[in-house]
Amino acid sequence: MRRGARATLLIGWLLALAGLGWMVSQRLHVSTDLRSFMPAPTTPDQRLLMEQVGEGPGSRLLLLSISGQPDAQLAALSQGLAAALKNDQRYSQALNGSFDLGALDASLLPYRYLLSPTLDTQPLDEAYLADQLQQRLDDLSSPAASLLKGLLPRDPTLEVLKLAERWAPAKSPELREGVWFSPQGEALLLVQTVAAGFDPGAQQLAIDGIRQAFHALPGSAGAKLDLSGPGYFSVVVGAQTRHQADWIGRVSTVGFIVLLLLAYRSFSSLLLSALPIASAALAGIAALTLAFPEVHGITLAFGFTLLGVAQEYPIRVLSHRRAGEDAVHSVRALWPLLLTAIASACIAYLAFYASGVNGLKQLAVFTIVGLLVAGFSTRYLLPHLLPRRVRDVADMRWLARARDMVDRLPRPRWIPVAVAVAVVLMLALAPAPFWQNNLAALTPLPQDLLQHDARLREALGAPDVRYLLVLQAPTEQGVLALSEKLQPRVDALLAQRAADALELPSRYLPTAALQRERQQKLPDRATLQRALDEALQGLPFRADLFQPFVDDVEAARQLPPLTPQRYAQTPLGQRLAAMLVERDGHWLGLGTVSGVHDVAALQALGENTHGAVRLLDLKAASESLVVDYRTRILQALLVAAILLVLTITFALRSLRRAWHVLAPMTLATFLVLAVERVAGIEISLFHLVALILAGGLGLHYALFFERDTGDPAEQRRTLHATLVCVLSALLVFGMLAWATIPVLRAIGLTVSLGVAFHFCLSILMAPHARQD
Amino acid sequence: MQVLIAALGQPAPAHAAFAEARFLQVLERPLVVSGELSWLGGDRLQRRVDHPQQETSTIADGEVTQQRAGKSPRRFSLKRAPQLQVLLDSFVALLSGDAARLQQAFEIRQSGDTAGAWTLTLVPRDARVAKTVASIRIDGYAKESRCMHMQEADGDLAVDLLGPLAAQMPAEPTREALQALCQGVP
Repeated sequence: MRRGARATLLIGWLLALAGLGWMVSQRLHVSTDLRSFMPAPTTPDQRLLMEQVGEGPGSRLLLLSISGQPDAQLAALSQGLAAALKNDQRYSQALNGSFDLGALDASLLPYRYLLSPTLDTQPLDEAYLADQLQQRLDDLSSPAASLLKGLLPRDPTLEVLKLAERWAPAKSPELREGVWFSPQGEALLLVQTVAAGFDPGAQQLAIDGIRQAFHALPGSAGAKLDLSGPGYFSVVVGAQTRHQADWIGRVSTVGFIVLLLLAYRSFSSLLLSALPIASAALAGIAALTLAFPEVHGITLAFGFTLLGVAQEYPIRVLSHRRAGEDAVHSVRALWPLLLTAIASACIAYLAFYASGVNGLKQLAVFTIVGLLVAGFSTRYLLPHLLPRRVRDVADMRWLARARDMVDRLPRPRWIPVAVAVAVVLMLALAPAPFWQNNLAALTPLPQDLLQHDARLREALGAPDVRYLLVLQAPTEQGVLALSEKLQPRVDALLAQRAADALELPSRYLPTAALQRERQQKLPDRATLQRALDEALQGLPFRADLFQPFVDDVEAARQLPPLTPQRYAQTPLGQRLAAMLVERDGHWLGLGTVSGVHDVAALQALGENTHGAVRLLDLKAASESLVVDYRTRILQALLVAAILLVLTITFALRSLRRAWHVLAPMTLATFLVLAVERVAGIEISLFHLVALILAGGLGLHYALFFERDTGDPAEQRRTLHATLVCVLSALLVFGMLAWATIPVLRAIGLTVSLGVAFHFCLSILMAPHARQD
Repeated sequence: MQVLIAALGQPAPAHAAFAEARFLQVLERPLVVSGELSWLGGDRLQRRVDHPQQETSTIADGEVTQQRAGKSPRRFSLKRAPQLQVLLDSFVALLSGDAARLQQAFEIRQSGDTAGAWTLTLVPRDARVAKTVASIRIDGYAKESRCMHMQEADGDLAVDLLGPLAAQMPAEPTREALQALCQGVP
């Protein structure tokens, strides 16, 4: 191809990439919410988990502690922060223990008589009022006078205080300087975010908001703000993983570039060979944005991992060039085999598309499009751009020696049998359990963070993230009624210390029926006035002092019952709204549990309710989801394996040749699994994905080693290409294997072991060397 | 002033009988209680009411505990009861003879000295406290505090007769009668 044409092609290609890049930047919507990655739930608990895992009240709680200053200063900071967050749309709640008379919104004050349980047992009659007024008189002569003075004319029975006590957390931390303090002397706050707990992106925004509000406070410079809670953890884990992956990625990229420069001594070849991969990634994402409304971050991470196979295509082309031969010719000779590899991988990935799991479908689309684009651009575009004059790697002396050495390796026929026996033995002897179902175990939190969390959770009496008591009814009022009915049993369980606290939705809002019942017990204006006048006999209160009280009671008699919708306009109603969820035409109430001591007793609450009441174990439900997910992957893998056997056999048109390709690949895959199991590693989804990548690479090694060209120079080029591929894969994934974060280590170790085993076994089981 | 305050100092624990009249806007006539005020050392103060109802309030570690016969104790933060904060600051400083502490919390005006009748007027420096408690006036004679007036910002007034004077609380006190008692000579 002429210079001008080459330049045009290169510019055209780069422009196409830029166009794809622009399209991706416009359309790509990455979701970080774990739920969109998980398979469709099948059991009711799983469904609930999927919808509630991020939205349950407990998972949206952030626990804050402020330390490093004298108590008075910390208390001021706590007040300042709580005030700032209360006015922020991102938080539905910010509690710091300061006794908040405003807990019931001023516009709802008359509702106190419908919300407070006082009227259930006590009519507002003369005797009660007289007793209450006498108590208020005592209060006025006590140190508490200034607390109550303002409240007295409107609320002589102190319903507002009763409600505030009812709504205060069951277990409160120590109060110092008017706010919560831990035994270690930190000021404590509880903040509920509007954003879902396991959406790290949204949680990051919420956490940034808290930090900004904190740093904007005067005097915050010398104090330290620490956060905890599921949302914070998801952010920490994400940042930690990304940081380590980035760091390792940078080092291994440099290593990779150095390796390719050493191997091919051509800077332009190196740059150009990056084009197919870049095209593959961009085209893959572009296809995803066309096919799916949003793409999950984990899909992309898995996808880029699997796309590592495509890196081999240009390497094969570069290694197989002959001196003086046009790159287009070299590729043409290589293409049938490369096409076999690409096609078989793509066909295998079709199985993932058929799995029906959204995350796996996305993975399949990304990988198939990516591999096809990488393959075809390597075949039809790249060769036209590569420099004319290259060094034939076959002439390198060390390579000739290496090839000789490889050819002289003993290749006993018993190798496959021995490996198979070893695999079976290792798998049989490996310590249980086989699978790791806890995804969180792969991104563990530093121990000090967990201890900090446990300490704050204990001090604040914050709800457990693991358990939820779920109430189900056809209507919202039905859920509240169920909750009211359940309350006595819950109280009994709490008395038996089955849990430290269990908060039901009816704690914040009684049913409309109960509100009406209480309303009916309110005396009319004349009756109340009469009772009040008599109760006031002999007491020194000013005669007209309690007019606001009489007015409020009259107002309460006329009120429509408070609904969750109306209530939701206030902070407290927001708290209730988080506990009431509509789904598929029925309603769910979410009761938060803290300090669970007796799971069985809590589960017993659900007996004979036909599922209307049940204790949801979020951990168990999420693990069962992972098991489902894995089953789907394994089924897809089985189909993929069958498709692969058929494709390879068809492409090579020989069962025997197919055996020589597939046997080393299969054995190596199981060998990795067995070695990891014997080392005590529990296999997770990430290990499986890494095994698939290693399998894809191994397929290439086996295909190329199996190929008998009868040309020693070509055999040397094959060895060169494979060595470069193996070394680059070992470099990239070997680095990952040293990571401290288990998820990175899982991928790194599995692929590294896989590459090593695939390479060794495909050499040792290659057929033709024996025939020499 | 230092001389006067130092002269008032006593070793802890110190106890003094008190009778208090509160003139509140919500009430038609003043509220009268009596009992004993005790400084237990440090920032711990106890106010025991014997009449008309048994009630003990204890201030310790920034928290107020209020115990009434036959009721479970009520607790709240000192921050929520500025009057108590003022009481604590002034009372403890006076009883321990700590002029520096008193000056830290209040602007102080003095008339008279330990030779005869004297008056200390304390205005809280903390703007938040001043929103509730406008000023405190302590009347005394020689080395003895006799009366404490707490003027609240909303117009309410509490007058405490201290020590021997407590016994002289009238059944139906008026502001003027108490004024006369406080400024009289023992």
